[in-house]
Amino acid sequence: MLFNTPQFFLFLAVVLILFYTAPRSWRKYILLAASYFFYMSFIPKFILLLLALTAIDYTAARWIARTRVPHSRRAALIVSLAANLGLLGFFKYYNFFASNIAHLFHKPSDAFALSIILPLGISFHTFQSMSYVIDVYRLEQEPIANPIDYALYIAFFPQLVAGPIVRAREFFGDLYHWQRPSSGDVLRGLLLLFLGLAKKMVLADQFAQIANGYFHDVSKLPGMVPAWSAVIAFGIQIYFDFSGYTDMAIGMAKLLGFHFPVNFRRPYLASSITDFWHRWHISLSRWLRDYLYIPLGGNRHGSLRTYRNLMLTMLLGGLWHGASWNFVVWGGYHGALLSFERMFRGKRSTEPARWTVLYPLQAVITFGLVMIGWVFFRAANFHDSLYVLHQMFFVPHGAQLIPPWERILAVITLLLAVLEEKKDWFEEISLGPAWAYGAVCALLLLAVELIGFTETAVPFVYFQF
Amino acid sequence: MWPRILAIIAFFAAFEGILFHTDLYSSIIEPDSTTGYMEIQLRNEIRRTKLDHNQVLAVGHSRMALLPRVVNEDKPGSGYTFATIWLGGTTPRVWYYALRAVDPNARNYAAIVIPSDDYNELDFDDYQSERERDLHYLIARLGLRDLGEFPWTFQDKTLQWQVVRGMILKGTIYKRDFLDFLEHPAARIAKAHYYASDSAGWHYDYGGASENLTGLEIDWLHKTIRFPDRIPASTRRDVEDELFSKLPPDQGRQTAYLRYWYGRIIDYYRGTGTKLIFLRVPRAPISPPDAPPKLNSAVRQIASQPNVIVLDERLFNQLEHPDLFWDGWHLNHDGMVQFSRILAAEVRRVLGPPKP
Repeated sequence: MLFNTPQFFLFLAVVLILFYTAPRSWRKYILLAASYFFYMSFIPKFILLLLALTAIDYTAARWIARTRVPHSRRAALIVSLAANLGLLGFFKYYNFFASNIAHLFHKPSDAFALSIILPLGISFHTFQSMSYVIDVYRLEQEPIANPIDYALYIAFFPQLVAGPIVRAREFFGDLYHWQRPSSGDVLRGLLLLFLGLAKKMVLADQFAQIANGYFHDVSKLPGMVPAWSAVIAFGIQIYFDFSGYTDMAIGMAKLLGFHFPVNFRRPYLASSITDFWHRWHISLSRWLRDYLYIPLGGNRHGSLRTYRNLMLTMLLGGLWHGASWNFVVWGGYHGALLSFERMFRGKRSTEPARWTVLYPLQAVITFGLVMIGWVFFRAANFHDSLYVLHQMFFVPHGAQLIPPWERILAVITLLLAVLEEKKDWFEEISLGPAWAYGAVCALLLLAVELIGFTETAVPFVYFQF
Repeated sequence: MWPRILAIIAFFAAFEGILFHTDLYSSIIEPDSTTGYMEIQLRNEIRRTKLDHNQVLAVGHSRMALLPRVVNEDKPGSGYTFATIWLGGTTPRVWYYALRAVDPNARNYAAIVIPSDDYNELDFDDYQSERERDLHYLIARLGLRDLGEFPWTFQDKTLQWQVVRGMILKGTIYKRDFLDFLEHPAARIAKAHYYASDSAGWHYDYGGASENLTGLEIDWLHKTIRFPDRIPASTRRDVEDELFSKLPPDQGRQTAYLRYWYGRIIDYYRGTGTKLIFLRVPRAPISPPDAPPKLNSAVRQIASQPNVIVLDERLFNQLEHPDLFWDGWHLNHDGMVQFSRILAAEVRRVLGPPKP
């Protein structure tokens, strides 16, 4: 049951009706039942895995909080981390390592392979779960007494399968001090829902056709123009796909009285790679910073250790996205760029850039660097990545793949992004005159109807992670 | 909050209504698409000057072989003015809505000519009531008032839902056309205007295919065809598929479908002066053996109704000759000319002399 299907909207409508008509004490049970129903609509058997991880992490956190013996606390933490990382490692990385080992021993790549289906959302809910247990271990979070509350935190359907990765204190703050959403929040939520749907179906799915067509067989359309246009199309696709999903998740949460953190802040307007990672998949960046980069030492032990930590964080962040060397290279590429920026700009690299005359140039360079990185992210294998990069820089000519109307659409979205950056039009529309709100929402829905509608919904890219 | 939510509904309904429930978008639809071709035909017929009531309109599919120009320019003529709106692949459900569009008051025509492939109306695999493309033919002509009938004439529940959704949210049906429009908007608008102004003449001048199947022999008993050497392999395959396709057991589905839609057309013209003339189109390049008549077929049952004239099913048997066909189902130019003249004479015979 994908977010971009009529079935999902029917499901959401039923959940909202049940949620708001039920007595308050029933509501979390309704949300939990709805979340499990939603999860089971994909592959039902994986509910057992979700339940098992929920039980392990709930118990581990309780154990950590109850005992004062350091070894015992650490043992409980290790059990929890091992369970999460073990299952994540098995389901997501077993075949990757097996094929590499097979390669080392000169055996066929599938010599040790198993037929494994990746449980939906495992990368997200394990990270969310681990953050909770680690926070309890660090005494930054009280353990949750009610297992139903904890289960809801892990399984809450708007963010279960592709984030954003919500911190326990954010979620339980909303759950324990739940208040009926204000009319402003309902309007923001609805607008986000429609905006997310339009981003996914009108923009991402259209640009996906260009990127998929090119990357399916990269040798078919030689030259730098098709290569760049396909890579840019993919860059647009993945941004609107993922941020569209996130907008819908945040919008739904608002309708239910929950507040998720912002996950994207116009990343393609970033003035540097550091700035990009402050704007792209923010909840993951924050997770990696708090649970990997800072524990590794962050920037506290000199430049070389900082670069090492950046590299390690980004390499693992890359691997988190998928089990292939391409993702490792993609992570390493970003780690190297972050390290370079750190090397040349020092701590200033983390300061937000000012909007000066140079800003557009910085943004264009950053955009270009990010696009180069997407080659590794999207290409089927390392060989294809190198081939595409060669085309992008050394093979002139070729035909433009993005049709004129999609270029116009991309420019319009760029202008809207700049406007949002400077003027916060989203908020102005949400709380502005009724006619403007109605017209914008109606236009978004009309665009979905006219451009985005398909009989078979296109899955979200990040569902595979 | 509620004024804003109502504003969403109001604006969406307004956008949808203005764009797709008026002529705005359908006037620039791709003329060579299913919907576009249908619209061109309907608009041309609506615009056509009708000087008197002696107008005869032939509706139908690709086997409706009437060439209006031939019979309208014959000297001496029949006294009736012939016109046609035909589109390959259409069936009586589409014709009913097409007639409603071109003749909103049911008084434009002296007669409507309606083709039948076979008065025995045998079932075949492509069940006509389940043709989703009928929605595409008619999307520009279907309004919200048709929600009570049109979707429910499909049997399949999923299809019914798709049709309801398509009729309300017409943009979902126009989607492919709209994306195509976005690729070259100026060229599309120019093409649509060009077709709107000139296509009536092209259609009126259309003369049919010049090829023929002379030399073809068919053994109906053993279901074999001997083709003359010059016939290309693709045509051979088409002819074999057309003439020897395996039919499922006849369960009366096709008859039930035709009974409903012939009935709707008859009801539409009931009490008007318009006659409904049914004919059987030439069936094949060589006459197939006659099957025993299915007495409860829709066309045979409606024959007794007032204003309905069912022509002799053998009327066009003389045209079932390889010289007059260009494939297994369709008459060529010579066949169409002969068909048109026979039809005009027969219409004149059954209607009597034209009214002054």
